[in-house]
Amino acid sequence: MGTAAVDVPMKGGFSFDHCRRNEMLSNKGLKPPSFLKTGTTIVGLIFQDGVILGADTRATEGPIVADKNCEKIHYMAPNIYCCGAGTAADTEAVTDMVSSQLQLHRYHTSRESRVVTALSLLKSHLFSYQGHVSAALVLGGVDVTGPHLHTVSDLYIYPHGSTDTLPFATMGSGSLAAMAVFESKYHEGLARDEGIKLVTEAICSGIFNDLGSGSNVDVCVITKGQTEYLRNLQTPNPRTYVNERGYSFSKKTEVLSTKITPLKELVEVIEGGDAMEE
Amino acid sequence: MKQQANWSPYDNNGGTCVAIAGADYCVVASDTRMSTGYSILTRDYSKICQLAEKSVMASSGFQADVRALQKVLAARHAIYQHQHNKQMSCPAMAQLLSNTLYYKRFFPYYAFNVLGGLDSEGKGCVFTYDAVGSYERVGYSSQGSGSTLIMPFLDNQLKSPSPLLLPAQDAVTPLSESEAIDLVKTCFASATERDIYTAAKYPYFTLFSEHVRHVLQGDKLEIVVLNVSGIRREYMELRKD
Amino acid sequence: MKFDASGLESHVLRGGVSDDLLSVFPTAPSFEIPGATDFDGFQKEAIQMVKPAKGTTTLAFIFKDGVMVAADSRASMGGYISSQSVKKIIEINPYMLGTMAGGAADCQFWHRNLGIKCRLHELANKRRISVTGASKLLANILYSYRGMGLSVGTMIAGWDETGPGLYYVDSEGGRLKGMRFSVGSGSPYAYGVLDSGYRYDMSVEEAAELARRAIYHATFRDGASGGVASVYHVGPNGWKKLSGDDVAELHYNYYPVEATVVEHEMAETSTA
Repeated sequence: MGTAAVDVPMKGGFSFDHCRRNEMLSNKGLKPPSFLKTGTTIVGLIFQDGVILGADTRATEGPIVADKNCEKIHYMAPNIYCCGAGTAADTEAVTDMVSSQLQLHRYHTSRESRVVTALSLLKSHLFSYQGHVSAALVLGGVDVTGPHLHTVSDLYIYPHGSTDTLPFATMGSGSLAAMAVFESKYHEGLARDEGIKLVTEAICSGIFNDLGSGSNVDVCVITKGQTEYLRNLQTPNPRTYVNERGYSFSKKTEVLSTKITPLKELVEVIEGGDAMEE
Repeated sequence: MKQQANWSPYDNNGGTCVAIAGADYCVVASDTRMSTGYSILTRDYSKICQLAEKSVMASSGFQADVRALQKVLAARHAIYQHQHNKQMSCPAMAQLLSNTLYYKRFFPYYAFNVLGGLDSEGKGCVFTYDAVGSYERVGYSSQGSGSTLIMPFLDNQLKSPSPLLLPAQDAVTPLSESEAIDLVKTCFASATERDIYTAAKYPYFTLFSEHVRHVLQGDKLEIVVLNVSGIRREYMELRKD
Repeated sequence: MKFDASGLESHVLRGGVSDDLLSVFPTAPSFEIPGATDFDGFQKEAIQMVKPAKGTTTLAFIFKDGVMVAADSRASMGGYISSQSVKKIIEINPYMLGTMAGGAADCQFWHRNLGIKCRLHELANKRRISVTGASKLLANILYSYRGMGLSVGTMIAGWDETGPGLYYVDSEGGRLKGMRFSVGSGSPYAYGVLDSGYRYDMSVEEAAELARRAIYHATFRDGASGGVASVYHVGPNGWKKLSGDDVAELHYNYYPVEATVVEHEMAETSTA
C-alpha cells in the first residue's frame, strides 16, 4: 500500500488541529455549528432468555425534528446490539468502529464476540477522548457467559467513559420517564412477551413525556443463538390530519424553451494500444 | 472562578398560534400544549383568550407574562364597558394591546400574540404583534415556536397583493370558512410533525390501560371561529409525542 | 430621571365622574423599569429575546414642489423576513409624515404619541404645529430615553406656514434640518442614486421617479430591504400617496428581460 496522499493523522482517529483556533473563535462570540442530537429514550433489560433493547426513533436539532424515523439500535456483532444517545454522528461512528474491531477479533479467534469485549473497547475509546465524543450507550447481548446489559456513558459522570452493569437500564433525555416504568414493573425472570411489553411501555413513556423523544418504537430481542430486530414494532404517532381536497400550488416555473446540445465524442478508441501496466 | 447566579425572569413555554381573516369570518387557532425545556407541563392549556365579543387573542411565549397581559386587557376592557356601555371593537382592542405591550418596553412581556376578530363592518381582521407592541393588520398570521414552519405554507396558499400597492388591489383571503379551517388543521398537523414544542387528541387506544390513556388526554388543537352568527369552538387531536 | 409618559395618558379617562373607580388602575402609567442591578446587561438580553425589526431603506428630500418621502416595506428578525407589508411611512396628520427605521415598536409608538401631541397643539393654539416644533417634540422625548436602548431613526417631513420642512431625528438624541436624507441599512445605496439624480427644480413626476428608483436600487443590493416601494408627496395641501410598487415588479422596469444571445455550443478541447 502506498502512502496516502490525503493529509490524515498518522494513527487514524481524530484531528485536534483546530482546537485552539476554535476555542479562540468561540471566546470571541462565534457560534459553533450545531450537531444533530438524538434527544432520546433508549432502554434495555434482561429477561429470562436474554436481553431486550428498545429505542424511540426521533432525531432532533434544537426544537426541530430532523428525522422522524431514525435507527438508534446499532449492530455490534450478531449477538450484540447497542442503543445510542447523544450526538448522532458520535454514536454511529463509535459503534461502527467497535463493531469492525469485534469482527476482526472474531476472525482472529474464531469465537463468538463477548459483550465485555465490546464494553472494554467502547469505554477505552470514550475515556481517551475525555468527553469530546458525546455518546451515552446501552449495550446488550448474549454470549457464552450468558446475557449481559451495560451502560456506557461519558455524559455527566466523571471520568468520561464510566460503565455500569445492570439488570435494566435507561439512557437519554427520556431516561427518567422510562426508568419510572422499569422501577415500578420490572422483576427478575420476565417472559419474552412481558419483556417486550415492558420495554415498549418504557419507550412510549419517553415518547409521550419527553419532548426530545418521539415517533415510533424499535425493539431488539437477543437470545442464545438468535437475534430479532423488530423495527417500528409500534407506530403510535400517525399523521393526525390530511385534507381530502389536497392543495394546489398556483405558480409553477414555466418552461419557455428547450434546447438540447449533444455531447461531442472526444475519446478516440485506438485498436491494439499498449497493454495496461501493472 | 467567580460564581454568579444566572437567573432569568423569562421562560419559554412553547406553542404555536395561527389566525386567518376571511370576508365575513375569522379563524384563530392554537395548540394546547404547554412545555418547558424537554418537559411537558400540561397537554390541556388554552392559549386563546376572548377579550371582547368580537376579539380573540392567541398568545405563545412565557405563560406567566401571557396571563398577566390577559388580565390587564380584561381589566381595561371592563373599564371601557363601564364608560361607554359597549364592547370594544377589534381594531380598538388591537391598539390597546399595542400600547399595553409598549408600556413594558424596558421589561417586555415575553408574549407573541395574534389578535383575530371582526371589525365594525363585520369583516374578518387579524393583527400580528412583536413582543414590544409593533403591530400590523394582515390577512393571516402565525406566531410562536412553529411559526417558521407554518408561515411559508400560508404565504403560498393565501398570499394576496400587498395593501401598500397603488393602485390598490383586492386583498381578501379567497377561502371559504370551512376551507380555512381545513387549512389551519393541516398547518398544525404538519407543524407537530417537525416542531417538538407544538402538539396536541389521542388517535390510538389499544396500547395502554385506562389510566395511561387518561393521562394522555389533551394535546389538542383549539380552533375558535368568529362569524355573523357568533363564536364557535372546535377541537382536533394532535400528536402526543 | 423623569420620564415623559404624558403621551400614554388616556385622555378620555381624565376628569370624568368615574375618577374614584379609576384610581384603582393607574391612569398615567410610566414605564416599568426592571429592578435589576445590571440594567444595561438585562436590556441587552431582553432585547435579544424580542429582537426588534431592523433593516430598512427610507428616504426623503425637499424639492421645489414640496417634500418627497419614500420607503420599502420589509421587516426582518435576523435572517427571517417577518413581514413584507410594513407601513414604514407613518401618517402623523394630513400635513405631516414620519418614516420608520430601527425598532418597529419604538417608531410606531412614538409616532402615534407625536400624532396625539400635534393634535393637542392644534386644539390649544388654533393652528397647526410647525415641522420644526413637531420634530423637536419627538427629539426631546427620545433624548430623555437616551442610553436606555430605544432604536429610532426617523425623518419628519411636512408642510407648515414656512413651507416644506424636513428633519432627521434619532434615538441618540440627534436632530438635523436638511434638504435630503436617507435612513436605514439600505441608505448608502439609496444615497448613491439620490445624490446623483437630485436637482432642486425637479417636477413632482421626476422627483417621484427618483425616489422610487433610489428605493428600488437599495432593495436590490440590501437583503434586509424589500417588499413594496411606497412614494408620498407632501405639498401645500397636505400629503398624497403617489405610488406603491412591488420591487420585484419594478425590477422588470429597470432591468427589462432581453432576448438571450446565441447559446455557446460545447467547444471541443484538445486531447492533450
